[in-house]
Amino acid sequence: MTAPSKLRTPELPLESPTMNQRTKVALGVLFVAVLIPPFVTTSLELTKLSRIIVLVLAVLGVNLLTGYTGLISLGHGVFVGVGSFAMANLIDQGLPLVLAGVGATILTGFIGLLLGLPALRVKGLYLALVTFGTALAFPPLARRLGKLTGGVTGRTVDNDAFAPPGFLGLDDQVHVWRYGICLVVAALWFFVIRNLVNSRMGRALRTVRDNEAAAATFGVSVAQTKAGALAISAAMTGTAGALQSLLNPYISHADFDAFLSLRLYAAAVIGGLGTLAGAIYGVGALILVPAINGALNLLDSDAVVFGGGLIVMTLIAPAGIAGLASRDDPGKSAHR
Amino acid sequence: MELFIQRCFDGMFNGAIYASLALAIVMIFRATGLLNFAQGEMGLLGGYVTLTLLTPPGATGVGVAVAGTEFASRWIPFHPWPPWLAIVGAMAVGALLGAAIERFIMRSLAGKSALSQVNVTIGLLVLLNGIVFQIWGPFARRLDSPFPSGKDDYFALFGARLRYTTVGVWAVLLVAIVLLGLLIQHTKTGLAFRAVTSNREGAALVGVPVNRTLTIGWAIAAAIGAMAASLIGGARALDPLTMLNLLIYALAAATIGGLDSPKGAVVGGLIVALTQSLVPPYLGVPTELTLLPPLGAMVLALALRPHGLFGTVPVNRV
Repeated sequence: MTAPSKLRTPELPLESPTMNQRTKVALGVLFVAVLIPPFVTTSLELTKLSRIIVLVLAVLGVNLLTGYTGLISLGHGVFVGVGSFAMANLIDQGLPLVLAGVGATILTGFIGLLLGLPALRVKGLYLALVTFGTALAFPPLARRLGKLTGGVTGRTVDNDAFAPPGFLGLDDQVHVWRYGICLVVAALWFFVIRNLVNSRMGRALRTVRDNEAAAATFGVSVAQTKAGALAISAAMTGTAGALQSLLNPYISHADFDAFLSLRLYAAAVIGGLGTLAGAIYGVGALILVPAINGALNLLDSDAVVFGGGLIVMTLIAPAGIAGLASRDDPGKSAHR
Repeated sequence: MELFIQRCFDGMFNGAIYASLALAIVMIFRATGLLNFAQGEMGLLGGYVTLTLLTPPGATGVGVAVAGTEFASRWIPFHPWPPWLAIVGAMAVGALLGAAIERFIMRSLAGKSALSQVNVTIGLLVLLNGIVFQIWGPFARRLDSPFPSGKDDYFALFGARLRYTTVGVWAVLLVAIVLLGLLIQHTKTGLAFRAVTSNREGAALVGVPVNRTLTIGWAIAAAIGAMAASLIGGARALDPLTMLNLLIYALAAATIGGLDSPKGAVVGGLIVALTQSLVPPYLGVPTELTLLPPLGAMVLALALRPHGLFGTVPVNRV
């Protein structure tokens, strides 16, 4: 074993870029853009859009763990599943929407921590291994726990609990209400994560990713940092699951198979690891590819495109679409 | 007691399959330090090539013709081939695939981070699975077995049934190990492989053709995968998800045995298979959850002995 030839993962951003003029404009445009759909789309389209937002949240969870902390997770589909089922069961207990969502989030974070603890003792690839195994084991396990998950046939989520409050006047437009919830929750998480990655903890995450020994030398507790990142990442993905059960009141173990985890991972990588915008780009690819494929009727499954995309992006653009998008930014070096 | 022995025998078959896949994973890991998540799917493609090579054209079991059989019967002499020949043919195709993967994808990864390597092998997993799904469809197919596998084809031992298939698979595995051992210990290619494994830069400096050696390594790994997939397809059935589950068992086997130890791969394969066939009935784990005991064994091994039973503990210099 020779000394490591490099001290950091060179292809991922070290600094979280400061917010430049372009980012501000993009955020403004995004803010206006998300307000338009409720007025111009059908309820079906709006629900689809809400699902996309939920996916972005889940991919951001993968990104926090893999992109910022360097812990490879191939099992985030499990956290989506745990969040969904937890939400459904907490609703059963008669908890109000917000409390059930928070409960599902915390529970999923806790389970993420529990799953990761043994694997945190060892490095890199092993967490990928354990999480991948978990992703494969989750559907049969969920099928077995019939009381919580409805077993083979799946279960429904009590939809009435999601009714919009009367004063909004949205009684006959539930989809708008749900879209709003997804939007606000996702925005909240983005805000939290943006602040997190620019804080002491965020710098600790990136240092742990790039050189554990150096991180430890600078007084960063490597194990604590990893465990914290894992818990937050799982919790965020759990929120995504909770929102998904809100959008799709029928959930079953088959929705959360290993390929969901792999797709989330592929989206995180293709979009761009280690940047917040990467999650949005990645889900864009996750949505656009099947849409184009379906329109042109090319392939039976999108797997070929995702697998190929993952390989091509890793080889030619390791920083993902976000990296490509910022490459032609003339002001970038000045803002560093 | 008979039941116990029977369960051991049943586990033995899986053990051989896991061991062979784990062996391929270990080989790649030793040579390149890369954990090949695509090992199972490289084999899957080979298994389906076997299927096409040994199936006559025309509709079969599920009412849909096996893809490629029309083409094969026109262009490949003596098609449909007997199972043995078909497996050897598929191993050759698998070897070409493995070599191509090394040449065109893995080679440009040298020196990249572990993250990039996982990305690429996971990408390959999804890609190859998608290709198989695209070409052969979602059906579960039974392959003709190279071993007599009728109802009465077993040895009666201690009141339990040791099936010819199980014996055959172990025989194949042992032959493969011996051949691999001969190749690595007694040929020039094997010497080069050992040199690359122990010190890549040093090997390159003294004129060992590193790239060509790695290409051969990947070809062999893919061929072993094709063999394992064909054998499992002959004993049970092959569908696009078969190898995904096998992969986790094989990875568990390799991890338990130590990722850089071929001996560990075989022992690990047996441990995983026996855990899988013995723990559920005696501890009352329901059959749907047979994935859990091996997974638990892997997590336990990781927590207690992170470098496996036979693996070398690396020394980290900063």
